[in-house]
Amino acid sequence: MTTTIGSTRPRRTAGPRTAGRRSTPLTVAMFAALAYFLLPLFWLVVASTKSTEDLFTTFGLWFSDAPRLFTNIQGTLTHDGGIFAHWLLNTVVYAVVSAFGAALLAAAAGYGFAKFRFRGHGATFNLVLGAIMVPTTALAIPTYLMFAKVGLVNTPWAVILPSLVSPFGFYLMRVYAQDAVPDSILEAARLDGASEVRIFFLIAMRLLAPGLVTVVLFTLVATWNNYLLPLIMLNDPSLYPVTVGLASWGSQAVGGGSGANSDMLALLLTGSTLSVVPLVVAFLLLQRYWQSGLATGGVKG
Amino acid sequence: MPEIAPNHPLLSRRGFLAAAGAVGLTAALAACGADSGTTSTATGPVSQADIDKAMTTPTELTFWTWVPDIVQEVALFQKKYPAIKVNVVDAGRGTPEYTKLRTALQAGTGAPDVVQIEYQYIPTFTITDSLLDLRPYGASELKDKFVDWTWGQVSGANGEIWAIPQDTGPMGMLYRQDIFDQYGIQPPKTWDEFADAARKLHAANPEIYLTNLAGNQAGVWHGLLWQDGANPFVTSGKSDIAISVNDESSKKLARYWGGLAQEGVIGTEADFTDSWYASLNNGKYATWITAAWGPVFLAGSAKSTAGKWRAAPLPQWDASKPASANWGGSTSAVIKSTANPIAAAQFAQFLNSDPESAKLFATEQFFFPATKALLTDPSYVGDAPEFFGGQQVNQVFADIGTTVNTAFTWPPFLDQVVTDWTETVGKSLTARTDAVAALDEWQSRITTFATNQGFTVR
Amino acid sequence: MTATIAASTADSRPAGAGATRQRRVDARNGRAGALFAAPFLALFLLLFLAPLGYAAYLSLFQTKLVGGTSFVGLDNYVRAVQDPLLIRGVVRVATFFVIQVPVMLLLALLFALALDSGLVRLARVVRLGIFVPYAVPGVVASLMWGYLYGPDYGPFAQMSKALELPVPPFLSEGWMLGSLANVVTWEFAGYNMIILYAALRAIPGDLYEAAAVDGAGAWRIAWSIKLPALRPALLLALMFSVIGSFQLFNEPNLLQRIAPDVIDSAYTANLYAYSLAFTGQQTNYAAAVSFLLGLVIVIVSYAVLLTANRRRSS
Repeated sequence: MTTTIGSTRPRRTAGPRTAGRRSTPLTVAMFAALAYFLLPLFWLVVASTKSTEDLFTTFGLWFSDAPRLFTNIQGTLTHDGGIFAHWLLNTVVYAVVSAFGAALLAAAAGYGFAKFRFRGHGATFNLVLGAIMVPTTALAIPTYLMFAKVGLVNTPWAVILPSLVSPFGFYLMRVYAQDAVPDSILEAARLDGASEVRIFFLIAMRLLAPGLVTVVLFTLVATWNNYLLPLIMLNDPSLYPVTVGLASWGSQAVGGGSGANSDMLALLLTGSTLSVVPLVVAFLLLQRYWQSGLATGGVKG
Repeated sequence: MPEIAPNHPLLSRRGFLAAAGAVGLTAALAACGADSGTTSTATGPVSQADIDKAMTTPTELTFWTWVPDIVQEVALFQKKYPAIKVNVVDAGRGTPEYTKLRTALQAGTGAPDVVQIEYQYIPTFTITDSLLDLRPYGASELKDKFVDWTWGQVSGANGEIWAIPQDTGPMGMLYRQDIFDQYGIQPPKTWDEFADAARKLHAANPEIYLTNLAGNQAGVWHGLLWQDGANPFVTSGKSDIAISVNDESSKKLARYWGGLAQEGVIGTEADFTDSWYASLNNGKYATWITAAWGPVFLAGSAKSTAGKWRAAPLPQWDASKPASANWGGSTSAVIKSTANPIAAAQFAQFLNSDPESAKLFATEQFFFPATKALLTDPSYVGDAPEFFGGQQVNQVFADIGTTVNTAFTWPPFLDQVVTDWTETVGKSLTARTDAVAALDEWQSRITTFATNQGFTVR
Repeated sequence: MTATIAASTADSRPAGAGATRQRRVDARNGRAGALFAAPFLALFLLLFLAPLGYAAYLSLFQTKLVGGTSFVGLDNYVRAVQDPLLIRGVVRVATFFVIQVPVMLLLALLFALALDSGLVRLARVVRLGIFVPYAVPGVVASLMWGYLYGPDYGPFAQMSKALELPVPPFLSEGWMLGSLANVVTWEFAGYNMIILYAALRAIPGDLYEAAAVDGAGAWRIAWSIKLPALRPALLLALMFSVIGSFQLFNEPNLLQRIAPDVIDSAYTANLYAYSLAFTGQQTNYAAAVSFLLGLVIVIVSYAVLLTANRRRSS
């Protein structure tokens, strides 16, 4: 029993902090890097204030003479009976349900593997890990065919169910639970007569919280950004998440033939901006939580 | 502090191999098969009594289409047949829709009853036996309502009627009157004049090209073949095909366009991309080889050039025998697995042949019509949009429509043909290399594919 | 604190009945563990292994447009290993991996070390800003970079023209792989930086104190203390990059829209598998291609691991 309570919390001890000593060249270099990472986003914001025509005729990194952000936002939100807001809502529902579901499943399974031994323990664990290496496109058609048989295609479940299985989340939770939940606590609780389920939900879950945040975050971003799976599974635009919806606007804006409409470009870009905002804001507001979550994730794996 | 050490399962050699091996093993275990759906469909003509019964029985139909605001046309149908409820689903434009359709057909569930299909894809879906022959449902009677070549496009080798035409795209040329005037160029009537104009214009202003032949646009290439009277894909039964994409007619085209590309007097950038839109707006190209849907499309995409464009027929190989082809346009087809073939067939027919519905397509969606009635309707062909300086562009394309060759047929595996074209001929145009050699490569690739797919290649 | 107390209580139980009871408890515990894992494993079985098994099964058949479906054994695999398009795609993603991954990880490492050094002003703003692209959907990222790369209207092209410099041909055949690498680096460098940064923050302070006592400078500390501490995190990042690179799909798939003449349907191995399955109607062959690609990933990951471990032991 080498684990002590102290080690279950991520250590926040600082390195050799050199308070007051700042390097200007290094600061400049880092700000240059920052500019690179923010440039495309700046461009996107600028572009969403432009008409389709201005997009191609004015300088890309600055506003045109006739900014029309609100016209574009209005156009985006009202196009096709307000379908865009619907897509955003779908994305939120898919991402949140998947993220919390996946985190809970991964936590339970990780805890089960970390703290118990049962038949097939090792082989099963290796099997789950090996699954990470299989290209996702390999699974797409078979999954579709199976879902079609049970009538799940073109329902929200077709997107949510596959997102509930996160092999990496499971791996992370197992590594994390190994040390975050000391055996001694479990033993003590058992002696007190607590059931295993009770121990898991009342004691282990609390200790697993930082790891859970990490898995929630991973899955949230993964589902939010998911494109291929919903593209294949969903036929009905009112079920689309925002990524697939935007891509369908994109193909309306570009493909030739009857019914094509390049005015969609302005809506596409404004829609992109609007779709990025919630996640970025969420990241900024919740930075304390996810940074500690990722800290544990990074250290442990 | 716990950390990932080499003895962690994922990172240790043994654990890693065990994991990899385990996946492989399990993968080999599970197995299940897809069974294809079976539906009984009519072989002989369906009686009027059956039709009346079906059209008054409460029924739901699913209709996949990417036509915007098509609910207006659908509403006309539902007004006439209140018992039938049509659910309109936009499953994507073109390829995404076909991809979903194919997957649904493979799964045996989830396919719509009626589907929008472009002309060129009809054989791709009939080879897999996925479309319903509409002859028993009264479609034959509609033949005379539609432009002849469109009917040829929706008809099968044995007279089947696989779909009902919705809109069309007879090919013509849109050109910039202002640029032509500025450089003293007459609208070319023949391809020879066109080539001369290309050289002259580019020499006068190296920033400008007479046209752009996109290396990703197999549709235009097929159109140009079609205009020249070629018929490179001929199937007589379900298992044989004759492929001749590198015959003399094709080689003439390849020499012509490949030559202009190699001279550097035409553009070869991909079309319908952001860059291409920018080029249309800033006058980099003086013509656009396009189709009857082009004028409306251009008016929306290149607003800054309003009033400067005009329409004309395609330049000709033989000016005494004007010919054209089709690029784009769609049909409505009924999926064979539908549980309600009568209602579905009636819907596909009504939607495109009812005069009121057909007219709405022309006035609301600005589709170029497939019915003879509309193409002679003065209120349609007499329209004179300002974008084209008051020219009656619909009339121009209606006239072109009468010159479209009727014999052209599409291959039963269009995606493969298009992919191979893009990676051989298309690439040679963009890279400005030998287009004739690329034709041979295209021919050989398609032939190999057809053979592998079990076709007898004649 | 409670744990310590509890532990001592547990230790103080009578020794005699301990052994049998322990065994009984273990058996019960084992079942409980399996139960905890059951929901995840059930879904894993249904949603991962079953489709995978189905794909393996499909890969042994061939469906022809004329003649229907027949069992062909390993023919699809034999065809795939000789398929020039697949080989080209694999070579391309391998090239991508060799170029992009070291650059991205090196950048992430430099950023993390710089931010951890405490020498940068407004370090929090910088850290967050560099991380933000991770939150941007790949669909949107490809869209943005697609415009920025534009040869006529893109801001880089506009600036080059204004300065009378040649326009960088980002979307040309020669540059495309680099342009893709840039998009992927943009998306994930910040994420990797945060992981490495977190690992740096977790280095116990007493190590630094000891080093300071020994008179080690900043560079020496970075080299002897920080880098070794980052090793596991870096190795894991590397593993994920192997998987990510060889499965490269989203970015080329979306950039195909603006450069269809450069990115063909077999540009990357994964894109090829997708095209075969969804537009080429060759589901069976696509399954075989996907399995071979999985095999390549396994081999490369293993090679990376082997190299890293050998270097460590030497």
